[in-house]
Amino acid sequence: MEHIKVVVHLLINGDAHDLAIAPEATLSEVLRGQLGLTGTKDGCGTGECGACTVLADGRPILSCLTLAFECQGREITTIEGVACNGELNPVQQAFIDAGAIQCGFCTPGMVLATIALLNETPHPSFAEIEKALEGVLCRCTGYNKIVEAVNRAAEAIAARLKGGTSCQTP
Amino acid sequence: MSDPLKYVGQPIARVDGPAKVTGKARFTVDVQPPGTLVCRILRSPHPHARILGIDISAAQKLPGVKAVVTADDTLKIKHGFVETPRYPADQYPLAVGVVRHVGEEIAAVAAVDEHTAEAALKLIKVEYEILPAVFDPEEAMKADAPEVHPSHPKVTEPFRNIAGKTETGWGDVDQGLAESDYVRTDRFESHLRTHGYLEPQATVASWEDGKLNVWTSSMGPFIKRKKLAQTLGLPLSAVRVHKSYVGGAFGGKIDLFSHEFCAALLSMKTGRPVKVVVSREEIFAAYRHGQPLIVELTTGVKKDGSIVAQRIRTINNCGAYKGSGVVVIFLSWGFAMATYRIPNMAYEGFAVYTNNTVRCPQRGHGAPQMRFAIESQMDMIAEEIGLDPVAIRLVNARLPDEQLPNGDNVHNCGLVECIEKAAERINLRERYGSSRNKAAEGGSLRRGVGIGVSAYFGGSLIYPNSSSVIVKLNDDGSLIILTGSLDIGQGAETILTQIVAEELQVPISQISIMAADTETTPVDIGVWISGNAYVTGNAAREAAMAVRHKILEIAAQELETETCQLVLSEKAVSVTGAPERRMSYAEIYEASVRSRRGDPIIGEGHWRTMRDVPTHPSLATAKGRWTENYAFDAQAAEVEVDIETGKARLVRAVTAHDCGFPINPLNVDGQIDGQVSMALGHAFLEEVMMENGRTLNPSWLEYRMPTIGEMALSESIDVITESYVVGQPYRTKEVGEGYVSAILAAIANALYDAVGVRLYTTPFTPERILKALKEKAQADSGNA
Amino acid sequence: MHLPRFTYVRPGSRDEAAGLLDTFGKAAVLVAGGTDLFPRMKYRISTPEYLVSLSGVTRFLPALDEDGALRIDALMSLGDLSRSPIVRTHAPLVSQAATCVASGQIRNAATLGGNLCLECRCLYYNQSHTFQFVEPCFKLGGDLCYFAPKGNRCWAIFASDVAPALLSLDTVICVTGGPGKQRRFPVAELYTGDALSPLTLLPSEIITEIIVPSAFGTGRHSFRKFSRRKGYEFAGLSVAVALQVADDGRTCRDARIAVGSVAGGPVRAAAAEAGLPGQDLSNSETVRSAAATAAQEIRPIAHHGYQAAHLRHCLEVEVLRALTEAAGPAPLADV
Ligand SMILES: Cc1cc2nc3c(=O)[nH]c(=O)nc-3n(C[C@H](O)[C@H](O)[C@H](O)COP(=O)(O)OP(=O)(O)OC[C@H]3O[C@@H](n4cnc5c(N)ncnc54)[C@H](O)[C@@H]3O)c2cc1C
Ligand code: SF4
Ligand code: FES
Ligand code: FES
Repeated sequence: MEHIKVVVHLLINGDAHDLAIAPEATLSEVLRGQLGLTGTKDGCGTGECGACTVLADGRPILSCLTLAFECQGREITTIEGVACNGELNPVQQAFIDAGAIQCGFCTPGMVLATIALLNETPHPSFAEIEKALEGVLCRCTGYNKIVEAVNRAAEAIAARLKGGTSCQTP
Repeated sequence: MSDPLKYVGQPIARVDGPAKVTGKARFTVDVQPPGTLVCRILRSPHPHARILGIDISAAQKLPGVKAVVTADDTLKIKHGFVETPRYPADQYPLAVGVVRHVGEEIAAVAAVDEHTAEAALKLIKVEYEILPAVFDPEEAMKADAPEVHPSHPKVTEPFRNIAGKTETGWGDVDQGLAESDYVRTDRFESHLRTHGYLEPQATVASWEDGKLNVWTSSMGPFIKRKKLAQTLGLPLSAVRVHKSYVGGAFGGKIDLFSHEFCAALLSMKTGRPVKVVVSREEIFAAYRHGQPLIVELTTGVKKDGSIVAQRIRTINNCGAYKGSGVVVIFLSWGFAMATYRIPNMAYEGFAVYTNNTVRCPQRGHGAPQMRFAIESQMDMIAEEIGLDPVAIRLVNARLPDEQLPNGDNVHNCGLVECIEKAAERINLRERYGSSRNKAAEGGSLRRGVGIGVSAYFGGSLIYPNSSSVIVKLNDDGSLIILTGSLDIGQGAETILTQIVAEELQVPISQISIMAADTETTPVDIGVWISGNAYVTGNAAREAAMAVRHKILEIAAQELETETCQLVLSEKAVSVTGAPERRMSYAEIYEASVRSRRGDPIIGEGHWRTMRDVPTHPSLATAKGRWTENYAFDAQAAEVEVDIETGKARLVRAVTAHDCGFPINPLNVDGQIDGQVSMALGHAFLEEVMMENGRTLNPSWLEYRMPTIGEMALSESIDVITESYVVGQPYRTKEVGEGYVSAILAAIANALYDAVGVRLYTTPFTPERILKALKEKAQADSGNA
Repeated sequence: MHLPRFTYVRPGSRDEAAGLLDTFGKAAVLVAGGTDLFPRMKYRISTPEYLVSLSGVTRFLPALDEDGALRIDALMSLGDLSRSPIVRTHAPLVSQAATCVASGQIRNAATLGGNLCLECRCLYYNQSHTFQFVEPCFKLGGDLCYFAPKGNRCWAIFASDVAPALLSLDTVICVTGGPGKQRRFPVAELYTGDALSPLTLLPSEIITEIIVPSAFGTGRHSFRKFSRRKGYEFAGLSVAVALQVADDGRTCRDARIAVGSVAGGPVRAAAAEAGLPGQDLSNSETVRSAAATAAQEIRPIAHHGYQAAHLRHCLEVEVLRALTEAAGPAPLADV
């Protein structure tokens, strides 16, 4: 079989990229290998850990099971693109403050899944948090402090909105 | 009274948090030098076979393949988790002549991409002669069992496949049992579990100008450097292990792994960087897991519940090489003797070779299995003699300053307080036994509570035995810490920063830390012997002290006063009672360089545990001191069981812990939560399912680690027994692996409390619970 | 883990896609969300020469027919399905089952059609066979079975969660085999029950949409997934129950009980269903005996660490719970 590369036009964290990729390249391979955006982690490659979570048009997907080619026309957000105006995203800050990070390998996926959750559900119930994060494994924290971080982030975002400063998260 | 602590003892957010939360933290899997080749490894499909021939010629000819190596390309130097005269190194990085477990490494290729590397593996032809294999340890001990390796020459029993034996004891157990009012014997079995670190095993090796640069997902760069140098025949100075962040380890990344050796060898062969990322499937099916122990336990007690004698026999399914299988039979003894007074004890532990994957430490390293047995039996005994679970533990719990049989001392042991506090928090005395078999609200759910206790050592003597730290003052008064310690998620960088911040009164944000590089940072014991907070922490404190001394001397000289008149705060020194007489650290630096022949103020500190003890205790006899610091804990569990489906879950966990002094309470809580989660996985969910040496569930879908849906409420109670005083050595205990054990036992006991069935084998699957319920119902109706 | 090489084709319509499948024959595989196919490809269980992707096909939103039936695009993602108000209202059972699949990230990519056409699963099969279970088993074209070495068939499990839900709702499947080659049939006819070749579809056929009739769509129902963990995981078994109840609120008019993850296709508990019409659902004996019948007639296959006897026991428990739930007071609108 011949292996022709195809040129794709990708929009990642607001930046446009024209890249020549193999059709079988997954989004995580392109992000990590070609674009050096190694914040997106690959913990299994088969859809079972959630470490490779990115947002596509604001919704979380697994970049290890997504063809990069099929991301054309979608706005992709990775962990490198969630800080706003050079400041940590409130979700990122909450993860640090709550002690929700240990080894940090699950953190990018957790943070992105949380951002997507809070965009849709600003004040999630525990069941909603559980459902939103059920696909991201964390071996270190036991999830307790992650739940705390999600709640803290929800509060922080609400407080910001009240104060009139809004930060457009993806 | 000294000033209140500002940094140490405070719940300070981790210093590597920003790097990790932005995706900037560089893990080994993220290291990608230009021109890197991909390495893949050929593994044995057989559990036991002789290698008759390997033909790599076709693979070598495949375009894009840059090198192929087999044992013939190596120096055939063995390595092992233990390398002592009694237990010499026993494993080749690439199999020589024989493979002894499925997945054992036979050859490795370096190629331009993964497709080519994998195609090359398929072209390697290996001819095998299949040998009989054995998988169960008790089968393997039989006289006619297939031989994995000859039994250890010093073991006199007529058993086959004995990798090692630990035998120790004191008093007279037979007499003790005879004098006991109540004696019982039980057998407990635990199963094969694995670490489940999120970051896969990965290594990048780059051979440049006679130096091997290595990035590897590990638990300490110095031990990796030593073993790589040893097996590659290089001087230590030719190997540099660089820092990278580590995405979890839990004991699973200590040993030298073949992929590390292969990446290095292939880079030396090709002159190009070589990267290997081990697939999750390989990790599950070919890599090292924890240790399934069989524990046979006979205990005799007096009427008041006090233990008179205990006889323990453990059998460890040790896998195809010694790994840490011969260590866990020693450690299990330690985990048995540290919590309770046992006047007469006889212990023997066998590590038995089987054709399974090799074993390595897994968080707790034998303690969960041992405590599950002892604490389950403790409850059974209590019930038989009419005591409650709290009372029987209080009778036996070690008290402060008790001397242990091995010469260790428990010092400020807080065990009694831990037991009382954990029991009180979960209301154990009232609840235990009161709701047994009673539905909460009609329905099929039953709840119960239980308790367990445990103790864990904090630091022992093993290569490299020393941690050293350097603290440097910058000319703007900020600090740099150099440490060989590695942050694997436990927070090493954060607590060392806190300690230095406290000693020198420099804000956390003004301290940067350079860690875990064998070339630029000083030696460190590694983060796998539960001694980081104590050993490396004291080294950091000493280094900071050295800086402090210099700062004070110079300030005293410049401010024309005595050092005892000076106070440090906010990167400055001032005279007590005269705050206007003040020098900033920047000014002190300048003065030092000016007046002390350029001294830029650098402090060095080092620490070794048990400074008067020459070496680690004997693995064979357990003689010799083990550790300076024992952490104690009592954990209580509330468990819910669905009696119709048999499904059970941990609802709530309470951990009362004497970790000495919590340098960072936020970290301590995080460690506890994580261990509770791991323990509930151990108790209910996780199992590496194997069939004739092959793994049935080499994926996260089927190796069921807890998801957020299984999260249990986790509460902790500090029982603080030590203190931290600026300028003085401190004694703290460990928090990283001591809290996976008592909680497992507590879960087993709570399960019993909920539904009245006792399980002797982990995991507590719905099948096992239902079966036990059925048997109980039959027995009950038989009795009625 | 990386995908094997393939030639990628992206047709603009379903008919065109079917045409391509026809042209390429065995060398081609269809992909929708890829969440089932890509892991298999990474394990090299499936190594198509051509990948025909449905990602370029225009999708339509769920809509009601004049007769009240709900039409759902087979390309709709399970995430959209579980969020869709119209599905929640008119086929709540489908939305519930979809929400139980995998994880949020996967549901955002996974499609309804892909879920219905999920490949069967077996511990020995869903691996990469590089150094374990290297000899191909029946399912991989070989002539042995690791799971039941003495037998001569495949015992892999069809684990879709949505299929039993659709089965209990008498759903109709619409497929195209290319221009002018459309057909529709009840969902029960989609499955062969044989794990070696679980679908009755022709190699070039694509599921285009499903039609949930109104009769069961909004009736009393329950979906229960039995698994070891609460988070993402395939079912040990799943049970979908749909009931039509007389105006008195308790007399059963018609009943469907469908079970997933116990065989090579979703199965109906026909005998248990047959005993229910005319019965008083508020009578606990009625539902109890229906559950017992279901456990009599269905013999779950051991799989993924679940023992057969245990699954059978839990089948009875879960059917009972599902029936009780469905027969109970009408649930509040799940919007
Ligand atoms: C970690 C993990 C957990 C999972 N858990 C669950 C679970 O709990 N329950 C569950 O049901 N599934 C689960 N899945 C499987 C899978 O994600 C879902 O079943 C999903 O709905 C499949 O849809 P897809 O569009 O991604 O399918 P694809 O992978 O695109 O396709 C699957 C198969 O269907 C065929 N196909 C796809 N679309 C059509 C069509 N329109 N017509 C004809 N054939 C078609 C493809 O050729 C392929 O053979 C899980 C998967 C993973 C990785
Ligand atoms: S049950 Fe089917 S898939 Fe599993 S081993 Fe047997 S033939 Fe293969
Ligand atoms: S890497 Fe994508 S889910 Fe694990
Ligand atoms: S922090 Fe290590 S896996 Fe979550």
